[in-house]
Amino acid sequence: MTALRRVVHEVHSVEFGPATGYHEHHLTVGREQVESLFADPALGAVRPRLASPGESIRIITPLDVVEPRSKGRGGGVFPGFLAPVNRKRGLDTHVLRGAAVLAAGYLPRNQEGLIDMSGPAAQLSPFSRTHNVVIEFDPAEGAPLLEAEQAVRRGLLRLAVALADAAVGSAPDAVEELAAPHRPGTPTGGLPRVGVITNLQTQGAFKDVFVYGASMAGSLPTLFDPAEIEDGAVVAGQYGHPALRNPTYLHQNHPVIAELRARDGHDLHFAGVVLCPEPVEQAGKEHVSAHAAWLCQAAGFDAAIVTKEGAGNADNDLGMKVDALEAAGLTAVALYAEMSGPDGTGPPLVAGPRRGAVVSTGNYDQRLTLPAVERALGGTRLRIIDAEATAAIEVPVAMILGGLSPLGAGRLTCRAEPPAVDLEEVA
Amino acid sequence: MVTNLVTIAEQVGAPRIVAGRGIQYPSGDPNLSPQAEHEWRRRLVKRALAAVATHVDKPTIFTVDAEEDADA
Amino acid sequence: MRLVHYVNQFYAGLGGEDAADLGPRVLAGATGPGRLLQQLLGADHQIVATVVCGDNYAASDPSVSAELLGMARAEGAELLIAGPAFGSGRYGLVCARLVAAAQAAGLPAVASMHPDNPGIGEAGAAPVVAAGAVARQMRPTLERLAAAVAKLATGAPLTAADGRVGAAARIGRLVEDRAAKRAVELVVARLAGDRDATEVPVGGFDVVVPAAPVDKAAAAAVALVTEGAVVPFGNPDRLESARATRWLRYPIEGLDGLASGTWESVAGGFATTHANADPNRLLPLDATRELEREGAIGRLHGEFFSTVGNGTTVATAKRFGVEWAAALRKAGVQAAILTAT
Repeated sequence: MTALRRVVHEVHSVEFGPATGYHEHHLTVGREQVESLFADPALGAVRPRLASPGESIRIITPLDVVEPRSKGRGGGVFPGFLAPVNRKRGLDTHVLRGAAVLAAGYLPRNQEGLIDMSGPAAQLSPFSRTHNVVIEFDPAEGAPLLEAEQAVRRGLLRLAVALADAAVGSAPDAVEELAAPHRPGTPTGGLPRVGVITNLQTQGAFKDVFVYGASMAGSLPTLFDPAEIEDGAVVAGQYGHPALRNPTYLHQNHPVIAELRARDGHDLHFAGVVLCPEPVEQAGKEHVSAHAAWLCQAAGFDAAIVTKEGAGNADNDLGMKVDALEAAGLTAVALYAEMSGPDGTGPPLVAGPRRGAVVSTGNYDQRLTLPAVERALGGTRLRIIDAEATAAIEVPVAMILGGLSPLGAGRLTCRAEPPAVDLEEVA
Repeated sequence: MVTNLVTIAEQVGAPRIVAGRGIQYPSGDPNLSPQAEHEWRRRLVKRALAAVATHVDKPTIFTVDAEEDADA
Repeated sequence: MRLVHYVNQFYAGLGGEDAADLGPRVLAGATGPGRLLQQLLGADHQIVATVVCGDNYAASDPSVSAELLGMARAEGAELLIAGPAFGSGRYGLVCARLVAAAQAAGLPAVASMHPDNPGIGEAGAAPVVAAGAVARQMRPTLERLAAAVAKLATGAPLTAADGRVGAAARIGRLVEDRAAKRAVELVVARLAGDRDATEVPVGGFDVVVPAAPVDKAAAAAVALVTEGAVVPFGNPDRLESARATRWLRYPIEGLDGLASGTWESVAGGFATTHANADPNRLLPLDATRELEREGAIGRLHGEFFSTVGNGTTVATAKRFGVEWAAALRKAGVQAAILTAT
């Protein structure tokens, strides 16, 4: 049974214009519309910019990234922010695939990151491949930064809907039917029921993730409708580690859910999604991990893939969940980034599980040499490495937005290369 | 080592681990009144001192309970 | 070949812990284990000089390796040998740094230490061959080292067959399938019965040999150290908020506690509001000072060490631990309380 229909409109080019419009894969972003959607007492100047794949542009201090989606005239995306949670939900969600809206600028606790639209780092961020509408902003004089951040978030979500609205009347490039997860108790045909547990960082101001508009901090793990995640029920307000955070865009396009759906009915059943907070103390972590394992078991999962958000602290939650799942008789696989030092010789995981299996999303410390670029958006200086934003720089993968995607969007992994072997021995 | 994340401390082999109450405040507890927090911190340090004077063979966790006197 | 050998104060016969603060010096010819090593090497190679330094002196300052290397080169070294350090952390750290510096300067070099020596990571690309865990295994250790030196002298690279150790480098690679797809494949493989399949080895736990307990806390000199990035307000020395490359030290003589607004935490991995409202929540100076007055400890060391744990590599953290231990021992401290976030 179809739970949701993705009506896909591809974007191949973008420009500014007097009014927002979409025609034959070309997106026009109306400047005045952007201004009005971001008008807020907490915001001063708002400067929209464009960055397309292949351009010599570096976006620094990127904040959240959102995919333009709309449910048409009835509305309904971003429940808890733009729509009431209890709403009549139509089946169709229009998606402007290949476009993204994002904010870039200073906020506290934002560990400076970057997106290069071309060059070596372009292969490491999903947002090097999207046509980006970049909103630079200044908080209003004297406005609390938290209010400015909330205003930016509202603006991004509204702009995402407004842009997708422009495509609603167009003939789609594809229509993707998404089925509901396999119901427990219904016949499996011998195929295993595999779900995904997604941990959300919930550390308060500027480091929080919202479910239906509210932080998940203090919650117990919960089963959650993947169709709601498609419709923007999970929104990121978390600006920590660039390579290890999950922007809203990646929740909307959740990679593990997508890969489970791809094999649904072939060698597994997609059994569902569990969302969990990441508590910041031991007792909470133990509590949430135990409950998550119990919940997966009660929901009849045979296995779970576990994803995280954040660095070492989040690794602890990941390892504890894998151990709790395996102890409960479920097969568990976690996605970890390795932290093996710039030469890759350090131990890969400090807070790994005792059992289960681990997929590597790359080495946090690996160094990249990036060339100078023509233009930088989001700022003029990268404070964390004390360099001009457009300069040629050497940075760790940790700084690339989405570079080590804990949700599994990236193609990086680590392979062990043993010390040199004598040529004679190989023969 | 004084830390809230005792699981990680065990994994890295820290021989003497004293359990704190929060990642953000290993030697504190902002949920207590200032007076009570100071008393708790004293008990924590006493527990740490007891730990360094204790023979251990492997990672060992020393806890500081609300009521107990770490000197006992 | 003209060889120069580096050993620490103990193996040079200059003393034990009491001589750990000795500065660098050169002795003619082979000394200590160098003598047996020379015998094993035979007539082809000559240990022309031995460079010696105290472990504390050498381990607490990274620039000492340049000095030691200079001394070896002044003796005409064509190949440098360091160790065997067995399991000794400070000695191993110095040996590793020395061969790394030599290699970087184009001088062939090899170190010998146990694979679990905490200093091994500092050798980087320079070769390290395995020593036993303890000095009782000197002879087989030196036999392996002599063979490695002989091979290295011919210009051939050392491999695992020569006893070469040091972690295999895990190199980042772009592959065809994204991680989410690989995770699903891995889950399916494991459900089908392959319980070994994993991209990253799982379950390896470190073993640290516990230090012997102090006799009486009431007589002990105790230091406070932290990885919570406690620094004077404004972070004048610019400690990083993540991926530390250095550690700092600040005097606390006469201070009864860390006042909010005078000190702060610049740690990037968590919200520092609580810590900044009362920095004693990260470094328990107020309570420890009181206990010092009450006679619960002999004395509180006059400075604290600070770095940030957030995103810092294990190799760097291990190195800091060895350096902190060296510096504290030098100052006569017997125990440290390390707050970790």
